[in-house]
Amino acid sequence: MLIRPVAEDFRVIGSYMGRIFLVVAAASLLPLIWAGIVREWHPFGSFLLMTAVFALLGVIGVRLAPEVSELDWSHGMVVVALTWLIVPMIGAIPLLLSGHFGRPLDALFDAMSGLTTTGLSLLSDVDHLASSLNFWRHFLQFLGGQGIILAALTIFAGTGGITLYFGEARDERILPSVTSTARFIWAVSVVHLIFGVTALGLVGWLVLGFDFDRSIFHGLMTFFAGFDTGGFSPQSTSIGYYHSAVFEGVTALLMVAGAMSFGVHYALWRGPRRSVFANLETRTILSTFGFTMVLTLLGLAATGLFVNVAGLTRQGFFQILSAHTGTGFSTVPPIELARWGGLAFGGMAIAMALGGMGSSTAGGVKSLRIGLTVKAVVNQIKQVLLPEHALVGTAYHQSGRKHLTPVLIQSVMIISLLYVALYLLGAGIGLAYGIPLQESLFESVSASANVGLSVGVTDPSMPILLELVYMLQMWAGRLEFVAVFSLLGFAYAWVRGK
Amino acid sequence: MRRLIRVAVLAGVFLFIPVSASAAEEVSVAEILEMGADLAGEEVTVEGELVGDYGFRDDGSMWTQLNGDTYALQPIREGGRPAGANVGIALRIPLDLGGGLDPPGGYRYRGPIVRVTGIWKYHDTTRPGESYVEVQSLTVTEPGRQLDQEVDWTPIIFGLVLLVGAGAIGWLTRSGD
Repeated sequence: MLIRPVAEDFRVIGSYMGRIFLVVAAASLLPLIWAGIVREWHPFGSFLLMTAVFALLGVIGVRLAPEVSELDWSHGMVVVALTWLIVPMIGAIPLLLSGHFGRPLDALFDAMSGLTTTGLSLLSDVDHLASSLNFWRHFLQFLGGQGIILAALTIFAGTGGITLYFGEARDERILPSVTSTARFIWAVSVVHLIFGVTALGLVGWLVLGFDFDRSIFHGLMTFFAGFDTGGFSPQSTSIGYYHSAVFEGVTALLMVAGAMSFGVHYALWRGPRRSVFANLETRTILSTFGFTMVLTLLGLAATGLFVNVAGLTRQGFFQILSAHTGTGFSTVPPIELARWGGLAFGGMAIAMALGGMGSSTAGGVKSLRIGLTVKAVVNQIKQVLLPEHALVGTAYHQSGRKHLTPVLIQSVMIISLLYVALYLLGAGIGLAYGIPLQESLFESVSASANVGLSVGVTDPSMPILLELVYMLQMWAGRLEFVAVFSLLGFAYAWVRGK
Repeated sequence: MRRLIRVAVLAGVFLFIPVSASAAEEVSVAEILEMGADLAGEEVTVEGELVGDYGFRDDGSMWTQLNGDTYALQPIREGGRPAGANVGIALRIPLDLGGGLDPPGGYRYRGPIVRVTGIWKYHDTTRPGESYVEVQSLTVTEPGRQLDQEVDWTPIIFGLVLLVGAGAIGWLTRSGD
């Protein structure tokens, strides 16, 4: 029997959401201050309004709904799913008031795309956008990539912290407590921020010949979108704007760092480093990257778009790395990407669908699930081929020796299948609107796996239903379904429960 | 004599043909992006707004972006309608042509509208895979200008009211603890 949620359930959920909104209100002071410093008064007003709404909801949640009981698993999941819906709604206020969107839903689309680190955009005329609004778009990707819940957990954890932590699609607790794990993740990010912005800023200033302040601006934006595998860019031509192999190289390093799980970061920092390369996840991602890279390069060679190997390799490598890490940066325009048919299209689509490592800022099915699926299939084949009573080894290495259990296989398979279903959902809707299969599938996978590469389907003139479906895909893909289903179950119980 | 004139006319015609064939093709930025491979190595003339940054590199060139979209004619801040993404290509301009330009387009400026003629380098072999126009001549057809910035007081007032409300709720409920 379904039990209808009672007032106390709502108060618990409201109280935790209130705390998170207060943390986001504090974070949204940054673009407000930025707008004030650079005297962008129109965006300043919209940031003030957004901060006030976050603060008001936060205070109402915390003060009017005092915590009366512990946050259990289902409460935690509902908090996560709702937070990831409401924060983009309020975060879209400055985007909507900017005048750069044709309809309010488009602004929400961009806020959702930013927070989920997807990178698809419906923003018109980014080349004339205020720097503070660009900062907010990219900072949203940083908040979303790190995890807004994680940001809140750094400050408060309480007894429900672990639920919230896992609800935000993290499956690995690196240190004994959630708070210390959250702080470690922030420490890794801040170190990367310092090195990333410095390196990109220096390249911009010394190699590209930009003004110093613009170099730092480009460095900061590219860091936010690169390390958090978001893919927004302050200029309309993405990383192709810079026309620099050095800039692309530094960006590539940031994308790789972003797609690595924080567990791998921990092992690389504290050791033992050799264990990183023994991990099933690392081996899987290296294999799939190599496979999709070869596929894409062969496909590109067949298209004849590139006349020399150096050009083909440079462009192919960057695009496939961007796709596999779920970043969405590009160095070729969407109109050209749409022409990458055949094997090149296959390589890109597979890379996007597979995604980065678990517990990273990347999206997609994730390489650990791919590795475990392959291992399970191989074991099944062995079981069939070997004598009836032969034992097939189930051990694998992932931060230590582990065993492939039926429960684990089931969980991996379910999530992987849900991703496939999500990819097909958007592709099907696109097809129904008359968009060719290749383009529908590419854009759908890009939205669901939070990549952001586009072949031009995502456009302000796109059908509203398709836009809504892409938003759903971004949200569900980022949260890896569990929190989303919990919210749906909670809502159903509220309506039909007794 | 007539024969001589005919020969001279024909010679002139044949001389003229190669001249017209090598003349720069007038194209839009969108056409360059659409027909990138077909125009590879061709001399093109294209018009648009300079946006983003002027990057002065050690090899004596200046890089920037040329946009050929509706925002070049009417920026959103001057009443232009949101009509989708920008349409831009890269320009590589010799330093002697790129000096003295107004600031590039951005939030505060509508960049200069220029008409450039140059070679369309599509997936250039010397700069692996990059595409851009190697500019040979540049004419400013409309200087850049500063964009007005009006202050909208409505969100500021609403924001302040909500902040006061949030503070009041926090203070009132705190005093009731």
